Amino acid sequence: MAGSEQRVVAVILVGGPTKGTRFRPLSLNVPKPLFPIAGQPMVHHPISACRRIPNLVQIYLVGFYEEREFALYVSSISNELRLPVRYLREDKPRGSAGGLYSFRDYIMEDSPSHIVLLNCDVCSSFPLPDMLEAHKKYGGMGTLLVNKVSAESANQFGELVADPETNELLHYTEKPETFVSDLINCGVYIFTPNIFNAIEDVLQQKKDRANLRRISSFEALHSATKALPADYVRLDQDILSPLAGKKELYTYQTLDFWEQIKTPGMSLRCSGLYLSQFRHASPHLLASGDGKRSATIIGDVYIHPSAKVHPTAKIGPNVSISANARIGAGARLIHCIILDDVEIMENAVVIHSIVGWKSTIGKWSRVQGEGDHNAKLGITILGEAVDVEDEVVVVNSIVLPNKTLNVSVQEEIIL
Amino acid sequence: MKALILVGGFGTRLRPLTLSFPKPLVDFANKPMILHQIEALKEVGVTEVVLAINYQPEIMLNFLKDFEDKLGITITCSQETEPLGTAGPLALARDKLVDGSGEPFFVLNSDIISEYPFSELIKFHKSHGGEATIMVTKVDEPSKYGVVVMEEATGMVERFVEKPKIFVGNKINAGIYLLNPSVLDRIELKPTSIEKEIFPRIAADEKLYAMILPGFWMDVGQPRDYITGLRLYLGSLRKKSADKLAAGAHVVGNVLVHESAKIGEGCLIGPDVAIGPGCTVEDGVRLSRCTVMRGVRIKKHACISNSIIGWHSTVGQWARIENMTILGEDVHIRDEVYTNGGVVLPHKEIKSSILKPEIVM
Repeated sequence: MAGSEQRVVAVILVGGPTKGTRFRPLSLNVPKPLFPIAGQPMVHHPISACRRIPNLVQIYLVGFYEEREFALYVSSISNELRLPVRYLREDKPRGSAGGLYSFRDYIMEDSPSHIVLLNCDVCSSFPLPDMLEAHKKYGGMGTLLVNKVSAESANQFGELVADPETNELLHYTEKPETFVSDLINCGVYIFTPNIFNAIEDVLQQKKDRANLRRISSFEALHSATKALPADYVRLDQDILSPLAGKKELYTYQTLDFWEQIKTPGMSLRCSGLYLSQFRHASPHLLASGDGKRSATIIGDVYIHPSAKVHPTAKIGPNVSISANARIGAGARLIHCIILDDVEIMENAVVIHSIVGWKSTIGKWSRVQGEGDHNAKLGITILGEAVDVEDEVVVVNSIVLPNKTLNVSVQEEIIL
Repeated sequence: MKALILVGGFGTRLRPLTLSFPKPLVDFANKPMILHQIEALKEVGVTEVVLAINYQPEIMLNFLKDFEDKLGITITCSQETEPLGTAGPLALARDKLVDGSGEPFFVLNSDIISEYPFSELIKFHKSHGGEATIMVTKVDEPSKYGVVVMEEATGMVERFVEKPKIFVGNKINAGIYLLNPSVLDRIELKPTSIEKEIFPRIAADEKLYAMILPGFWMDVGQPRDYITGLRLYLGSLRKKSADKLAAGAHVVGNVLVHESAKIGEGCLIGPDVAIGPGCTVEDGVRLSRCTVMRGVRIKKHACISNSIIGWHSTVGQWARIENMTILGEDVHIRDEVYTNGGVVLPHKEIKSSILKPEIVM
């Protein structure tokens, strides 16, 4: 089955610094794809999912961050997985399909039989091997991972209709105003190399239309400022919508978890989802302890080996503690992400919060969010190097980097 | 000598604490409020205390029975069947207060905490030969109170000005009086205000004198003032009998810990904290500006400030209690819960955080 003609290349779209502004203040310090979720950079989770695909030969990260921002990560993950992982920087925005097309020579270098394309801010169990099998069975050009959501929330996504028998994609519409379907596009695709032909067709049509338009100067006057560049091709509107119902595209429904990591609040929720996945997939990554020689651990907790946690501390559920963090005696951490070099002093409490790099939380101080991952101030976020002094309480607040808090705050954004 | 303590009614301002005990029995600095007064009265030779009360006299008497023997003092109740104001109860208790000796008697407002300088009061009263002496105390904002205007040299009271709009003086009635039995002849058995009706009349006869109360004074009838009152009381205790205050590396400022209370390792207690009998404070607990009443258990790593923890309550591990949180009797705060100004009625369990001041029924 795994013949030499069966080769898979994965492409992970990582976006760029002008995207992901909703992820501030955490994205002020680190590219969002490298923000730790469950103790691993966000992009690490789709990468490890791709690693489980048989015959995977290469992973490309495509985005418009500067190369140096990814250089270190890409080299270490390549070594770790013993698989080539490479960052490709887009020279200008071309849309998701346009970006993929501009790197077609790299992608086709290994003559892959299949191309896996996914967005890095998707949080999922990524059932890629099963999806690939389904894709081969369908025999189409592409297969989309789809998920059923509540009717009220569906309009934030690409809504689609699939044939219940054949799973063929019958209709696709991006973020519709009225309800179309509760099946949505997960942003995870498997294509055959024919996808490049489809993109090329769209590019050609756009070029033709642009030429035509030149004739009608009136129209050009009115649309020139708004029009997207001719080589800008979106996967959803320009490829999926027109090809729906043409026996080219199929769907594969995930019954497991699926979320998008657009905000810090969602990163905390997704951290919890990945930690609970570790329980089955990589239990060695999870901490344990009963308070005797090491701290009491409740539920799923990740602690970086270089972090120091006092045995009288109690940690969990859903906590990840990054490198060199120090957690003092009698500290209590629940539903939180503690980033590198953070110091949490004696008897401090952190609940539903993200504590930024090099921050310190004083004795008996309390950093807490209500835990609503979708609310603007539903979790408390401390940016880099924020000092919360002894006995201070910070509730449902966002604190930008390099601030010292010596009085308690509630429901505030502190610039 | 005899004394009458004006206890009054339900003590609604000190709820939810007064839902469990009549106000005079609510602990202040590890002792029911009224005992502070009774003990001070005993010190200066008072042999009989009459409590003017209109609510739950049985509970009061039952409780005070032990103290009658212990202190060698007679405590009786004079129960109003209808509210008689602040003077009417004196008429009602007339027979108990008059014994033919002609000695003056004390009248105290039960909400007042001070150093109770009764011997100075007696001395002053005897020196001026008037009919009545009231103690006055200096306040920062006299416009909120009834101001006593007096002759500085002799202390003779000239007049009373209720909530003055322009400054007439900064001394207000402190709620502590020493009265000759003849004052009772001025009071009828009907609702009457001693401050507004009786004293002005005595002043008009030039027989009312005021003595400035030395030391601190606080009306602890409501939670915020109760906590301030504790600070003042402990500060005064530091000067008078510092050995009664706790000492050690885990103590900051003035802290009163009952001998039967247990304090764990790695705690930081103070300033201005009172920990009552039978309390357990586990390891790593932080307490400041708070009262922890009899039988309370504070579990590990909890942090409490500016709050009152009612009798037999428990505070869970890593809980945070602050900003005028008042827990009634037998309230249980679950682990890790935060209460910011929660006022909790007795016998409740609090399972989730109270982020903004609110009342939990």
